[in-house]
Amino acid sequence: MRVQKFRSIQDMNLAPVSPSRRPDFERFLRHCAQYWKIAPKVYPRGVFKFRSIEEAEKARGSR
Amino acid sequence: MDRAEIIRVLRAFEASGLEYVLIGAAAMGFHGLVRATEDLDVLIRATPENVERLRTALREAYEGDPHIEEIAADDLLGEYPAVRYYPPTGDLYLDVLTRLGEAARFEDVDAETREIEGTRVRVATPAALYRLKRATVRAIDHQDAAALRERFNLKDDA
Repeated sequence: MRVQKFRSIQDMNLAPVSPSRRPDFERFLRHCAQYWKIAPKVYPRGVFKFRSIEEAEKARGSR
Repeated sequence: MDRAEIIRVLRAFEASGLEYVLIGAAAMGFHGLVRATEDLDVLIRATPENVERLRTALREAYEGDPHIEEIAADDLLGEYPAVRYYPPTGDLYLDVLTRLGEAARFEDVDAETREIEGTRVRVATPAALYRLKRATVRAIDHQDAAALRERFNLKDDA
């Protein structure tokens, strides 16, 4: 990866970000895998039913 | 979230003929807006036959898991339009929805077909995702909506 040099943080923020050559969904999968490595979770097993997506969200938040 | 597991699930969806559309962070990922998630959000057509296809797909992806039989058409087509399934692998979970509030059903969500490793995947379009996400209460959905609006130059009447 080439090195870019900037005279200021402002210049750095204005610099275009090189797009990844990796397909978008592959980047998503890699990102999720990294997230899992950093913050693995322990989930319950099975099926849970909710009357609304809001109720499901609350259940997720309280886990 | 394990890559091979996601591909296996999406492949099983296709093989079963499940009528579905991805609507969550995975759909955002297909559109180049990448953020981490723990789940797959799947909106399915609300028919008994389609719920059976879902169960067939999950049996294929997670062979031998008896919990799959707890996913019932009576629930998804009735009082419980949101079902969360935690597979035995423990790496992710699936939120299966037949409706989102009173507004959105499978039939209402515009989708496009993408492909990964030869598997066709139905993904909500950026405009459809934007409509769904701007209408919900979660902060993360509002962030997603803002990102979609900016990336795809969407208007509020999108």
